[in-house]
Amino acid sequence: MKNKVTLNRRRFLATAGAAIGAPLFIPSRVFSAPGKPGANERVTVALIGAGGRGNSLTREMKRSEIGHESELVALCDVDEKRLGDSLAGYDPGIMPYRDYRYVLDRKDIDAVIIATPDHWHAVQTVHAAQAGKHIYCEKPACCTIEEGKRMVEAVKKSKVACQIGSQGRSQREAYLAHRYLVNGNIGHVSKVWAFHYASPADNNPVPDSDPPPELDYDLWLGPLRWRPYNRKYLPGSFRWMMDSGGGQIRDRGAHVMSCAMWWMGADGTGPATIEATNLQFATKGVYDCCVNMTVTYTFKNPDWTLIWDQKGAQFNPDAPRGEKRGPGEEDISRPGYGAIYHGDKGTFTHWGGDGGTWAEKKAREWVPPAGFKDVYKSPGHFEDWFEGIKTGAKTIMNIEAAAGVANLCVLGNLSALLGRKLSWDQSKMEIVGDDEARRLMGRPQRYPWCF
Amino acid sequence: MAAIATAATAAVAAGTRAARAAAADDLIAKVKDKSDKVRAEAMLGAGKVGAAAVKPLAGAMADADFEVARAARRALWNLVRYVGRPGADDEKKAAVTELIPLVGESQPVAVRREAAWMLSELAGDEAVEPVAALLSGKDLREDSRMVLERLPGEKSLAALKAGLAAAPEDFKPNVAISLRARGVEVAGMPDKRTVGSRETKVKAMTAAELQEAAKAAKSAKQKKGKKQ
Repeated sequence: MKNKVTLNRRRFLATAGAAIGAPLFIPSRVFSAPGKPGANERVTVALIGAGGRGNSLTREMKRSEIGHESELVALCDVDEKRLGDSLAGYDPGIMPYRDYRYVLDRKDIDAVIIATPDHWHAVQTVHAAQAGKHIYCEKPACCTIEEGKRMVEAVKKSKVACQIGSQGRSQREAYLAHRYLVNGNIGHVSKVWAFHYASPADNNPVPDSDPPPELDYDLWLGPLRWRPYNRKYLPGSFRWMMDSGGGQIRDRGAHVMSCAMWWMGADGTGPATIEATNLQFATKGVYDCCVNMTVTYTFKNPDWTLIWDQKGAQFNPDAPRGEKRGPGEEDISRPGYGAIYHGDKGTFTHWGGDGGTWAEKKAREWVPPAGFKDVYKSPGHFEDWFEGIKTGAKTIMNIEAAAGVANLCVLGNLSALLGRKLSWDQSKMEIVGDDEARRLMGRPQRYPWCF
Repeated sequence: MAAIATAATAAVAAGTRAARAAAADDLIAKVKDKSDKVRAEAMLGAGKVGAAAVKPLAGAMADADFEVARAARRALWNLVRYVGRPGADDEKKAAVTELIPLVGESQPVAVRREAAWMLSELAGDEAVEPVAALLSGKDLREDSRMVLERLPGEKSLAALKAGLAAAPEDFKPNVAISLRARGVEVAGMPDKRTVGSRETKVKAMTAAELQEAAKAAKSAKQKKGKKQ
């Protein structure tokens, strides 16, 4: 547990105007606002990656219970047009940046929301932690095993609060599902089958070209080895490239498998073997992630199997359709993914697993008997993060847990890329008996976008 | 894919140079096929053809048809991943032997870059010298030091140390990062990792400017609506 956070406002006041390389403007309402807590209780936040997801996160934060305790003061994006457009949607006075390092250099900023493409998560998280910023970073935490290790080290060392954006853990019905499972309602769970539809293929390939003038492509690539620009790489489509996204297994796997690791009490553990099968890749274009894939993870002591099964255009053909909900209940808006838990006394299904998590009726209607085992109920993903910032409490999707989940996604993709089964030593956090796979546990980063 | 795999398997089993060359020719013909499905089968079957396919695939990576070039690149990567499997040391060694000349100056920069990264997954000491030679040119020096960082052993470490000594001032911090990643302490190097350098031209907006922007956005939306 770290000490209660000291917000940086006073330090900022002492050094205002001395920041390097960028003008500073802090609106007066940062320091006080009628009917709201005083300035010293607010957390100043910067958004790094002001695209669709980033802007939606800041709105979510503002709407949440801690909205009044937060103040967005800076936006950062490598695309000038997007940065300008995003800025127009916020309050006056928010400072725009292209280079996140200016943001980290501002002493008056307490926390950052990182919503950049996946290949930036590790470097920006490590640099933010080193700068003493609290971090909310989109999932998946990391793109390689080594990145995850470095993130854990940096966050631990700096004692900042870090929340990774697998919000499924913070949903109300995730709590109901968790509680239902740990109280033995379906007995001992030996298999979790996570279902999802396929990753998209690039059916209209285009040649590489010059990047548009508004985009700092070199900065977008950041730590990745250099490659020519292709307009299919971004913005949201970075997800379908192995080095910047990793496909559905990393995009949604970091949600659905996050729930599985949490509910199975498996955070801190890892699989003994990983095998990707039923592989189908795109036949053209630049998307190089698996379109279809099944990855089987075997866990030992306790023994259980986690299966990630990704196929089908909009629905995995083997998956159950979303359950019909009762009057007054929220409909399942994302029934295309979820998981079935197989126990020795029955099964349990959930849909979604991210910001929308829907539990099967039997878990929603289960009335806990006296003496039941309760589980942690997150007040909300942002609220839980702020609790971490203010008290030092461990966040629900802390960096250790998040790196563990991301490792599952990374290892599944590695097995697919290499076309072979992998063995994993959780105590050493490394692949065993495969020299090429071991080399791929990390990837060298371009300078200066590196650890 | 089955047809390619069968031809390739037969070639490997026969072990003759002619059979291997025939399998490689067959593979290249399929990589260059007009049909993306045929090209995809070739990509997936490339591994079993082995080292004989390395040079022709590298040639196809420069094809004028960008989809053929992509298929060749991906096929070569699949080959690298296939020969890198445990217990396939002879296949791996043969592929590395074919990959090494591809980092040389006779090849297009894009091919040299890919070949260097392929070597980073498979090679040992034998690749250090040709990869380290890339440190002296501007186009590939960053790739070179990153690949050397990944190549295991003392020889790659020594190449990085020599690279640091010989590097121009602007590139020394890059090599230093690789040395640090390999556990070597390098002092006295300027560090740009946390120093901002890319300025935005976008300016913070006042309340009045925001109002104007909102008005403009609304008007643009209305115009768009009318057009539709």
